[in-house]
Amino acid sequence: MSAGSTALIARRSIRARWGRTLAIAAAITAGVSFVVGSFVLADSLRATFTDLFQELNEQVDLEVRSVQEFDSDQVREPIDLTIADSVRRIEGVEAVEPALQRYAQLVDDSGDVVTTQGPSLGVSWEADDGLEGVTIKDGQPPRGPDQLAIDKATADREDLAVGDVVTYITDTGQHEGTITATLGLGSGDSFGGAALVALDLETALVNFGADGKVDSIAIKVEDGASIADVQVAVAETIPAGAEVVTGEEVAEEAADEITQFIDIFGTGLLIFAFITAFVSAFIINNVFQITIGQRLRELALLRAVGASGKQVRRMISLEALAIGIISTVLGVGGGVLVARLLIIAFDAAGAGFPSTSTVLALRTIVMAALVGVGITVLSVVIPARHASRIPPVAAMRPELGFVALRTRQLVTGTILTIAGAVMFIVGLFATPGGNIGLIVLAGGGAVMLFLGVASVSSTIARPVTRVIGWPIEKLFKVPGALARQNVARAPRRTSSSAAALMIGVSLVSGTAVFASSLRSTLVDTLENAISADYIVTDQNFQGLSPIVADTLAEVPELDAVTPIRGVAGLVDGDQKNFGAVNPIAFEKLVDPDLRAGSIADLEIDEVLVHGDPAGDLDLVVGSEIDVTYQNGVSSTLTVAGIYADATFGNWLISIDTLEAVSDAPARDFFVIAKLADGVDAADGDVAVRTAMEAFPQANVETNAEFLASQEAQINQLLIIITMLLAFAILIAILGISITLALGVFERTREIGLLRAVGMNKRQIRRSVRWEAVIVSAFGAIVGIVLGTFLGVVLSLAVPDDVISKLAFNPLIIGLILISAVVAGLFAAVYPSFKASNMDVLDAIATE
Amino acid sequence: MNTPVPPPPPAPLGRPDSPTEPASVTAAGAVNASKLYGVGDTQIRALDDVTVSFEAKKFTAIMGPSGSGKSTLLHCLAGLDTLTTGATYIGDTYLASLDDKALTELRRTKIGFIFQTFNLIPTLTAEENIRLPMTLGGEAGDTAWIEQVITTVGLDDRLHHRPSELSGGQQQRVAVARALASRPQIIFADEPTGNLDSITGSEILDFMRRAVKELGQTIVMVTHDPIAASYADRVIFVGDGKVIGEMLDPTSDQVIDHLKNWD
Repeated sequence: MSAGSTALIARRSIRARWGRTLAIAAAITAGVSFVVGSFVLADSLRATFTDLFQELNEQVDLEVRSVQEFDSDQVREPIDLTIADSVRRIEGVEAVEPALQRYAQLVDDSGDVVTTQGPSLGVSWEADDGLEGVTIKDGQPPRGPDQLAIDKATADREDLAVGDVVTYITDTGQHEGTITATLGLGSGDSFGGAALVALDLETALVNFGADGKVDSIAIKVEDGASIADVQVAVAETIPAGAEVVTGEEVAEEAADEITQFIDIFGTGLLIFAFITAFVSAFIINNVFQITIGQRLRELALLRAVGASGKQVRRMISLEALAIGIISTVLGVGGGVLVARLLIIAFDAAGAGFPSTSTVLALRTIVMAALVGVGITVLSVVIPARHASRIPPVAAMRPELGFVALRTRQLVTGTILTIAGAVMFIVGLFATPGGNIGLIVLAGGGAVMLFLGVASVSSTIARPVTRVIGWPIEKLFKVPGALARQNVARAPRRTSSSAAALMIGVSLVSGTAVFASSLRSTLVDTLENAISADYIVTDQNFQGLSPIVADTLAEVPELDAVTPIRGVAGLVDGDQKNFGAVNPIAFEKLVDPDLRAGSIADLEIDEVLVHGDPAGDLDLVVGSEIDVTYQNGVSSTLTVAGIYADATFGNWLISIDTLEAVSDAPARDFFVIAKLADGVDAADGDVAVRTAMEAFPQANVETNAEFLASQEAQINQLLIIITMLLAFAILIAILGISITLALGVFERTREIGLLRAVGMNKRQIRRSVRWEAVIVSAFGAIVGIVLGTFLGVVLSLAVPDDVISKLAFNPLIIGLILISAVVAGLFAAVYPSFKASNMDVLDAIATE
Repeated sequence: MNTPVPPPPPAPLGRPDSPTEPASVTAAGAVNASKLYGVGDTQIRALDDVTVSFEAKKFTAIMGPSGSGKSTLLHCLAGLDTLTTGATYIGDTYLASLDDKALTELRRTKIGFIFQTFNLIPTLTAEENIRLPMTLGGEAGDTAWIEQVITTVGLDDRLHHRPSELSGGQQQRVAVARALASRPQIIFADEPTGNLDSITGSEILDFMRRAVKELGQTIVMVTHDPIAASYADRVIFVGDGKVIGEMLDPTSDQVIDHLKNWD
């Protein structure tokens, strides 16, 4: 048996069916580009930040900082500045630079806060040490309480220059100073998108309210001295609770922290990339299945003149392989391009990445090949097997060949659907095997569900499309009736080409259910659990300085004000997040559905526990728990109450309890407040907003405004997911289009006859167009049903403090249906043009 | 397959002891061949206990009206379709004893085909189509012979054209050349001229007869055209799935007369 002939025929077949080949290649290329783009983007960002932190810490040999008992996302406790003096005296130490990083916000001339995409940072900066890799772009280092430096990117954007006097806000209030320098990081003008206010150490200590403490102390070791020896000497000098680590470790840790975000971001993108690739698999499978039907006689002829079934199968697989390889190559190129474009777009949006390299890892190429070639070849396994079963006699009697192409899929489909649903549910609720189990079971279950529903849906395709087509037939008479019949005559094809759209739609509608449920839970919470009139959040998501809450507490129109702060602690070896509040105010603002004990009486070293962990740990009012905080401090907390509403987490302590154990700079997640009895809402509003004018970063919202902005965020989630699915949906539309075009090709003679007996071009176009609409509406309906199921399961699986109430949004469902119809119209453009522009005589003469 | 072990190939039907011809060899045949399609009330008996054999180096035509079973007989003889009961053989090989692989090999090496339409792979050139049985087997074939065949059918200047660029007659000539190229033991032709005008058709038939006379080929052809049948050495008449008669060295008028007598 020769590989030559199969390769020859495969090659010719690709060439002879350019349109089909291009469409398939486009679908695969899109999927591969997405996969490659996700990897390249994440890898490039990772490399950039790893390099950046290494560069930043290049001059730093050692760093002294406080010990952290366990990893959490909280900042380290500050250490005493006096440590710097004792370290400086150690032999071999060349320079020592204490560093402080706090909150500082520039205010422009009109009193508006200067916002950036990144955080607003205040830092201490001693230019002499030059340890941080900071470069002066213009001017002289700031010295003394009246001077500051800012980053060049912000200066340029806000039209500020050396010599300008500006106002900035820190934890201690408003300050004024003259800009003496603009700064950059290495050759860049920006500090990763952050807006920077740099002060000399002494000024920083005062203006940031650091109280004689700094975040860390960087050490440069003299040339020739052993870093390890100095590290040992420093370790002996510094007090308990502080540690000395190498600059490399610090750089690695800092990079790791960013890398975690990049990982999450990259993984999120990858999930959608794989969805896109998965969708393209449906298209490839369907297109091959159809073309094999069309090539039935050709394949049978091959069998008749002596090709074995294996050769036929190999020929089809070779065709797919060739398309897969070409698409993979194109996809790798496309992916790198997409990643570059995204980085440029981020940069333009103000992310301020330092010069980013493009990292194309071997792993990325391997994944691209696995996805591109793997999916293509896997997609044609079944079509190729069917092709190999075509009997040679079908060369003369094609009707005998179609039996070989028929599939019994109801049983397999049903099994897949049920198994997939069970896996999905078990994965989300029982979560055996932790996160990996969750991903394997829920993800694998969803994939099986999609495959199962796609194959089962061919059995319901006929009745459902007949119903969808009914109004179309009534409206458009003959073309409508033709559209309806054409959809119904190949239910397998209809369901397969609709399946790709079904996947996209089900993910969107599943997210819609999830989002609606999130919203309804939020509404419920705001209506029932929280009686606050104002919710103050931070625009830049850095957490609010405590002065915001303190200022609000002074407003006479307000009756109760409490910040919500957080701290992590180990209870029984497990990390728990404690919420810290002002108990007296909190009681007036929030009803946590207390089952035992009271809130207002919450004393120092007492804790309120949610019913679930209380049940797990056998806690009752009066029980004692030992907590170890991140800074190593331990304390014993007494359970003062048990509550049932998890809106504010599972563990609540007072601010006093928190401040007694931690010196870390306080950051409030948000502040909630309530108007005093008898105060007019309008008057209160004026009072609150006036008080907050000094804090432009504080975002003051009434209960209703807060709900609206949260809703906007929820809607944004929906929009982002829909946008990430855009590729998949486009591929689905392409799939419907090509299926339809192949169908038109098959019906050439039939269409010729219709034209011959008097159907005009417009009517032909109309019938093809509405056929597309019926197919896409069918996909959308199956997708909405499946997506609603997925969304409901997911919503039920997440904890009650996130979603406690299911909700559906008929508006979104309507919108999805309308979009599906539009998608169908879009998909029909090419096939309907093709159908209407056939030469009537040629068409009739076609065999 | 519920075929019982078949008897050995019988002597050619007709004149095994013909005085004018040497004792001939049987190239192919069927023994008690029956073929049923469908089940229950819709069951059709396409072949009904047919026993027939075909001489080597002869041009045999199978004639019969539509639905007579003539095509089914050809398909089963050629190993394209399987019998319900009975046996078919090519040379001394019983087709029922072969698995799909061996049957494929047999088709590729021992059998040539010419169909009424759709004889060629549309994406391959004329030459590639002609060489297809050989390339499928990974062989070059007998180059000199293939060139001779190509020249004989007059395709030298059409070798690099696709089927869509060839006329119906040219396409059939390519099909004939392909059937001859691998020097098969036997060529089966299914209405090879059914789609051609009479002049082109007679060219093809003439060429097929020359292949038998001059090159010693064996050809079995199904047709319903008395003129086509007149090119054959022998005509077998089939009706209702049975062999109902035969004629040697037929002329078209004889065939027409014979057909008239049936009605």
